[in-house]
Amino acid sequence: MTENRIFDLAVSPHVGSSKNTKKIMWDVVIALIPALIAAFWFFGPRALMLVAASVGAAVLTEWLCLKFMKRPVNFAFDGSAVVTGLLLAYNVPPGVPWWLPVIGSAFAIAVAKQAFGGLGHNIVNPALLGRAFLVASFPVLMTAGWIAPMQWKDGERIDVQACGVSTAQLSESGEFDALSGATPLNALKQTFTWEGEPERSEEVRSMLFSKESIKNLFMGRIGGCIGETSVIMLLLGAIYLVLRGVLELRLPLSYLGSVALFGWLFGGQGWLDGNPLFHLLAGGVILGGFFMVTDMVTTPVTKKGRIIFGVGAGLLTMVIRRWGGYPEGCSYSILLMNLCTPLIDRYTKPLSFGEVKKNG
Amino acid sequence: MSKVKSFAGGAHPSGNKDLSSGAAVVRLPAPEVVTVPLCQHLGAPSRPVVKPGDEVKRGSVIGEQNGFISLPTHSPVNGKVLRVENAPMPHMRSGPAVVIKTESEDGGEVYEPVPDWRNADISLIVNRIKEAGVCGMGGASFPTYVKLSPPEGVKIDTLIINGVECEPYLTADHRLMLERADDLITGMNILARVLGVTDPCIGIEVNKPDAIELLEKKGAKVIRLKVQYPQGAEKQLIDAAVGREVPAGGLPLNVGVVVQNVGTCVAVTEAVCKGMPCIRRITTVSGMGVNSPGNFNVCVGTPVSTLIDAAGGYKGDVRRLISGGPMMGMAMFTDAAPVTKGTSGILALVPAEVRDVVEGPCIRCGKCVDVCPLRLCASVIATASEYGKWEDAEKAGALNCMACGTCSYVCPAGRYLVHHIKRAQNEIRALARAREA
Ligand code: SF4
Ligand code: SF4
Repeated sequence: MTENRIFDLAVSPHVGSSKNTKKIMWDVVIALIPALIAAFWFFGPRALMLVAASVGAAVLTEWLCLKFMKRPVNFAFDGSAVVTGLLLAYNVPPGVPWWLPVIGSAFAIAVAKQAFGGLGHNIVNPALLGRAFLVASFPVLMTAGWIAPMQWKDGERIDVQACGVSTAQLSESGEFDALSGATPLNALKQTFTWEGEPERSEEVRSMLFSKESIKNLFMGRIGGCIGETSVIMLLLGAIYLVLRGVLELRLPLSYLGSVALFGWLFGGQGWLDGNPLFHLLAGGVILGGFFMVTDMVTTPVTKKGRIIFGVGAGLLTMVIRRWGGYPEGCSYSILLMNLCTPLIDRYTKPLSFGEVKKNG
Repeated sequence: MSKVKSFAGGAHPSGNKDLSSGAAVVRLPAPEVVTVPLCQHLGAPSRPVVKPGDEVKRGSVIGEQNGFISLPTHSPVNGKVLRVENAPMPHMRSGPAVVIKTESEDGGEVYEPVPDWRNADISLIVNRIKEAGVCGMGGASFPTYVKLSPPEGVKIDTLIINGVECEPYLTADHRLMLERADDLITGMNILARVLGVTDPCIGIEVNKPDAIELLEKKGAKVIRLKVQYPQGAEKQLIDAAVGREVPAGGLPLNVGVVVQNVGTCVAVTEAVCKGMPCIRRITTVSGMGVNSPGNFNVCVGTPVSTLIDAAGGYKGDVRRLISGGPMMGMAMFTDAAPVTKGTSGILALVPAEVRDVVEGPCIRCGKCVDVCPLRLCASVIATASEYGKWEDAEKAGALNCMACGTCSYVCPAGRYLVHHIKRAQNEIRALARAREA
């Protein structure tokens, strides 16, 4: 005979999938590790130092905010602050002083995230707002802190003075001095300004769009922000996320597709002469496409909405690259689209099962 | 072999059906005392027609039908009425029940079998199904005869028998399809004749290949369905099987379809061909919290504790006792509650099986939106509900939600989405009633 005991009452469903917020966040952290390795490889130990400072500042700020607001402080360890810290560091140039990412991360967490109510309530991507804050406050550091990727020769590291794209080519052709820019996108931006010298800009562009240059972009042997340069390592992380079922592909694919399309349409000097591959691989598009456009909190929840978001962000990225004041438009385009998310969600609410469209 | 069909959305909770799918149905004798609920069906409870001290015969009516959407209730045993009282029910609250002391358990075929159902008057058959108290045995317990009496002008052209059993753990329907295939097919044909449908079909998930094979061998038309929750939800089943979308707020009959559970078909056969009212059912007892999970043929009114004993008793730290499946079933606070016509399963779950989480903030991952078979934005409705914005919740489609639980299942933040949505439904309905009054 069984005793008559009282069982817990609870609402259905009584079972759940094993995925939870913490696991998702830590999966994203793991997926960002390969890019960190690439950063170490190309920019040396200081890249690691900057990333550590940024992550530390993010977690600490989160902890302090939660403590201050008398909320459970273990939220600081759910991985989301680590993701923000990583992404912020990945979005600053490797030559900046250590306190820059610290300020950026602190701002990202305190202002962009906690001030809006913490995890899930922020409107824009904290890391990107942190970056925008740094660009506005420390414009010189944020646009000049580039260092050249290290070259390796016979097992030894040699620092190459010149920065930028397919470094060697540029210096050989003597064009380097004319390029004050230090990233491929800077170089491209410059070519747009040489209105009177079509041949010169054509020459640099063909260099930028060359096979050698694309290969460097793919491997990450270029100047750029800490975590954005190595496409191959970022893709490794993205594949991990797909395998773990964390990445919903509508956002990244629509974003990348849109960048490629508009990059081809107007990413060159005239119409239809851009190099879609260059635009995909240069700058922050791959990092943004797989790790920031995909930020769950600040992007639409509807399937259609995600595609609109991705396409819109891709278009804005290319508009900024071509006509905007900055060489790279990835982060601003995502920030702008973040602001549109509530609107997109509202207008893409699917028609529920068996519902008939009103008024045709 | 027909194509495997499905609906859009859904999730894949682990089935855990191996625990009991191999266990043949064991018939349990009636317990010494049965507590027969007067409201085992959806709708108005039956009105008790017995009083303490009355002798009752197996199959005799102890509660009469009380309105259109209602059914009579029969005694599952020969015995003496002890009490008519409020007793704990599997669905969380107490309800009226007739408590009977069992003396014996024979006879019970109280009705004349309908002689030749293929040619008999249809109203005779429908009436028999009604007076035998047959209701949906899948869980919703809607009176079957009502579904067989479509309003004037509604043409039914499709009958789908629901053998999907998409809830994890449950295997009662699976065993029934294997062990009562002939009665099942007879019941299906009776229902088809009543509705004037020429080629009824049975929808079964492909994780029950033995049942599919057997029923096909016996000449039934089987629709193979993908293993995907909630494949057995009426609207999803209809969508998958015949590609028709039941209008929001509408019924299957709006698209010319009637869906009946496999257990209901067997109950129909019993009622029509043998004159036996609906007083027994097959129930799965499973979960890591019982020693030997299995499937049991029990009298309605049997206490859950008796079933648990039959399954070898509790094992380990039972965290939750559930009537039904783990996705939509109700947690019970006591095992003294009785089995009803709609009890498809009793689950005793240990902590490792139960998801017991602290609700976290929504991270807007959109998973709940991706999986909702009804294309609702669960997160939006739930948030509106949390803030008490009932109108917003209604606008977001709260009333369409069927509480299948898929959204809560996938939510990484562990939000109690179904709970919030149900709460909004209650509030919206209460507001509407208040407006009317
Ligand atoms: S699944 Fe949960 S966390 Fe994700 S959007 Fe829905 S409610 Fe929010
Ligand atoms: S419980 Fe409701 S909202 Fe959630 S998936 Fe099922 S029908 Fe959709």
